Amino acid sequence: MSLSPRDPLVVGRVVGDVVDPFMRLISLKVAYGQRQITNGMDLRSSQVLNKPTVEIGGDDLRNFYTLVMVDPDVPSPSNPYLREYLHWLVTDIPATTGTAFGNELVCYENPCPTSGIHRVALMLFRQLGRQTVYAPQWRQRFNTREFAENYNLGLPVAAVYFNCQRENGCGGRRTS
Amino acid sequence: MLSSAKHKINHSAFSVSSSSLPNSHSQAKKNMAQVTMEEVWKEINLASLQQHRQLNIDHEPMLSSQNPNNSIFKDFLNKPLNQEPPPPPSSSSTLHRSLLPPPETVLSLNPHSINTHFDESGRFGCFGKKRGQDSDESRGDRRHRRMIKNRESAARSRARKQECIYKRVGACNISLAEGKCKTQETRRAVENGGSNSTPDKEKTSKVLDSSILRKRPNSWRREAGEHLYIISLS
Repeated sequence: MSLSPRDPLVVGRVVGDVVDPFMRLISLKVAYGQRQITNGMDLRSSQVLNKPTVEIGGDDLRNFYTLVMVDPDVPSPSNPYLREYLHWLVTDIPATTGTAFGNELVCYENPCPTSGIHRVALMLFRQLGRQTVYAPQWRQRFNTREFAENYNLGLPVAAVYFNCQRENGCGGRRTS
Repeated sequence: MLSSAKHKINHSAFSVSSSSLPNSHSQAKKNMAQVTMEEVWKEINLASLQQHRQLNIDHEPMLSSQNPNNSIFKDFLNKPLNQEPPPPPSSSSTLHRSLLPPPETVLSLNPHSINTHFDESGRFGCFGKKRGQDSDESRGDRRHRRMIKNRESAARSRARKQECIYKRVGACNISLAEGKCKTQETRRAVENGGSNSTPDKEKTSKVLDSSILRKRPNSWRREAGEHLYIISLS
């Protein structure tokens, strides 16, 4: 099903800033501890310290997927000149399994925004084959679109995002 | 401006002499330098506030008869100039009479020094201005940029709010579609393929959007909840 204009990914501008409009093809369940992530959920940095458990849907174990976790609002949503920051990259995840079965190319780094309320998006791409994706050199200035193009991943098949801010409030306004 | 200032003084004086003397003075003042006078009185008011704070004077002592010569106010008026001696007050003891001669003298003798002094005092009195002014253009640019950033931030905030609303509406729609509503009509509508309920959903969403988006978070969360509860009951 294609994304409606009321879809949280569209309203939150994840579709637009990070990826192009896509169709949801398989399920993606992300949970930090007991807390399952829904789009637009508000979390604090203490709640996202450890990597989440991710379960993906699909049918065929022979299909492999790549999970990308980025923060497009670094260092601050009003001035995101380091867009995007790569927090986690797991490849070769077989369908119907989770990230535990995949290959963690870029290890999980917990989001800890200092300024503003950041969106953190997790996107799932379908790989053409196994071991076809390589890690980038740096985490910052990551470009999900370019990354997908380079490795022939195409459009995402699933995505979810949440809002993350620092522990004691969003960090207020910094003089730019 | 001049006449209004004059009226103020007349009202504040406890003994009003209805002689024509103050009126003639005011007319003379008007003739002499009306624009300058306005500036002078404006700055006097500003500077007088400071002076009164410094000298711990409020308006009452001026009116009292303790100091029949009203030398404090006269001194204040003559202080900036330091050039001409304070004119001795005429034999009157009323406030406005003693007030009037000094300004006239001040005006007549040295208008330039008055202007320069009051420019300084004006600057001194304007606490909001920054020292070391940047150019007007960069200030305008900064303000403009700040405004744009504020607007973007507000738009992001509205988007977050909107998502939450849509989530709640979606949850309500799901519960309606699953037949968890209480009345028969709604159940029948759902059974009919949801054609009746769809426009309601749209209407509901629109109503929620427009009215609730304008409200503060706590109130709109409560209201959205109430709306959805009412809809589920109807």
